[in-house]
Amino acid sequence: MDRLNIVQKTLMTLTLAFMVLVVVIPLLFFITVSFSSATDMTEFPKRLLPTRSVTVYIEPVEGDTYELFYDYGRGDGYTSIITTGVADRLETHFQRQYSVSVSGDKLLEDFSRTRIEGPMTFSYKKDAFYNFKQFFRIIPNAAPALKNSIIVSLYTILISLTLGSSAGYVIARYRFAGREQLNVALLIVRMFPTVGISIPMAVMLIKMGLFDTMLGLALLYSIPNIALTSWITSSIFIGINKEMEEAAWIFGASRVRTFINITLPLAFPAMAASSMYSFLTAWNDTISALILTNENQTLSLVVYKAIGTTSSGIQYAAAGSIVLILPALVFTFIIRKYIGQMWGGVEL
Amino acid sequence: MKHTHRIPKEIMPYLLLFPVFLYYAVFWLVPVLSGVKEVFTTLDGTFSLFSNFRLMASSDLFGQAVFNTAAFAVLSVLIQYLIALLLAVLLNRKFSGAKLLMFASMIPMAITPTATAILWKTGLMKDGWINTILMGMHLIQVPIVFLNAEQFSAVLLLIVVDSWTVTPSIMIILIAGLQGLQKDQKEAAYLFGANKWMIFRDVTLPTLKPSITTSIIMRMIAALQVWAISVMILGYSKAPFLVERVAFYVDAIPGVDTSTKLAYTYSFMTTIVVLLATVVYLKVSRKTGHQEKEAS
Repeated sequence: MDRLNIVQKTLMTLTLAFMVLVVVIPLLFFITVSFSSATDMTEFPKRLLPTRSVTVYIEPVEGDTYELFYDYGRGDGYTSIITTGVADRLETHFQRQYSVSVSGDKLLEDFSRTRIEGPMTFSYKKDAFYNFKQFFRIIPNAAPALKNSIIVSLYTILISLTLGSSAGYVIARYRFAGREQLNVALLIVRMFPTVGISIPMAVMLIKMGLFDTMLGLALLYSIPNIALTSWITSSIFIGINKEMEEAAWIFGASRVRTFINITLPLAFPAMAASSMYSFLTAWNDTISALILTNENQTLSLVVYKAIGTTSSGIQYAAAGSIVLILPALVFTFIIRKYIGQMWGGVEL
Repeated sequence: MKHTHRIPKEIMPYLLLFPVFLYYAVFWLVPVLSGVKEVFTTLDGTFSLFSNFRLMASSDLFGQAVFNTAAFAVLSVLIQYLIALLLAVLLNRKFSGAKLLMFASMIPMAITPTATAILWKTGLMKDGWINTILMGMHLIQVPIVFLNAEQFSAVLLLIVVDSWTVTPSIMIILIAGLQGLQKDQKEAAYLFGANKWMIFRDVTLPTLKPSITTSIIMRMIAALQVWAISVMILGYSKAPFLVERVAFYVDAIPGVDTSTKLAYTYSFMTTIVVLLATVVYLKVSRKTGHQEKEAS
């Protein structure tokens, strides 16, 4: 009954292609921006794929100077950019404007050919990671922030998983007075916006000496995530065959042993999924990090501060964002198998 | 059976839950109470029921922040949900591109909001890639200056950005719900002469209800707290939201006594709104909720 006719098949393929395009095209353009030089950024229309090299047109001028022309691709041909014979100026210009790292002396040496052969074009390979280097160079806070983000995410996963899955197990397996109230309470803390507690939390963490620390930040991020973890795992624990657990008890296994050997492996996908949520909460948050940290910023906060409210130099912020995105993607990629199992036995 | 029982069974759940209780008592209840205390005391420390709310209501852009937050939450959830449901139903088959789809759908969800904001800012700039695409397809002749969007169009712009981010993951959640659908359930329905629409309405939708419930709750809560994309794409005060105001008073004008009070009050207000949305939602879905509990 699941055989598709040709119309359904076409419709599905189109939907699929549309989905992938809508997700991928903005990403491609964005990645290209992160590899774009300052000059590339002034170009319009924008390229879908980054350029690997830059071409300039050089005319020898009287004395030791050269006039440099660049074609912006607007159809008006080469535009005069600068006229100079100073090695340092050329080097800086090539680095800032074209992301090309070539020494000024080498440039002058190349250009001297025009004295004999007349005006000509020169192509130079771009330093592909110029924006990335620049991001970490402009913002001295960026490298420690990357480390901080990893630490706070791990803390959050650890706290949420330990406390959350034990609560999830209790809710799934025990009938006790206050179980309903507990469910409601967990729902409330899960929904509770972290921004609502961030400011008083800051005051409290200052008293505890945990302000501006990653542990302090993780304590906040764990508030919704413990509840979320318990909710995700409890529904899985309910689904796990109770007869199997009971069989294990009959064969003399203790409740703890049964939990470790039978229940936990079965619940692993759920725990992996909730860890992903914990990670994403910690990694992606900016507002609480803004309130709860001072010197020890997280990467997401650094990227937020990098852009300010202008668009100039956005290619550096874009490069920083790529650094921010990558670990999140890798993490998602690592646990995709478990998400797939949750998803209903789809192998990914 | 071995009888090495050390702890009575009745106490066990409470014992296991004790660390969780303790955690929430210290790190949730205490800050919440002190936050509430701040909201109901004036700058000189005397109790006042309304003074901070009056301060907030008379602060710049209060009305707009409330309206924008409500509009954003309702519209974005509605739009994303309808698109995701449509896509989920269309794509709920075993097909060769499933891996690719899953992978691509996971990307926007995995991207940090601050990075999403920068991604879209590079698109929304006058010489950005959105104008490149639109002009390349000859849909427009002159570049649109998206970043000058004001008032409601600014909110709509942010809804588009938000939808790009979360719709694929909502779709994944819904497909997950659909995959949980027992095949024999469907076959049985066919056997009894049900048509496709009846199966969708009576078998598929009820199966999806739990995943629908969860995704709507999650989305609403997140949508009510939108701020990063607003501030980073448009700047402070261009498209004010409740949490955007909190960030504004913490980040843009820190250190002033009234801005601290305003930040407290705005975050209190956000909390109340989020909790109200939760309660309203639970009331609406109470019926299904009870059925689920009885079934489990």
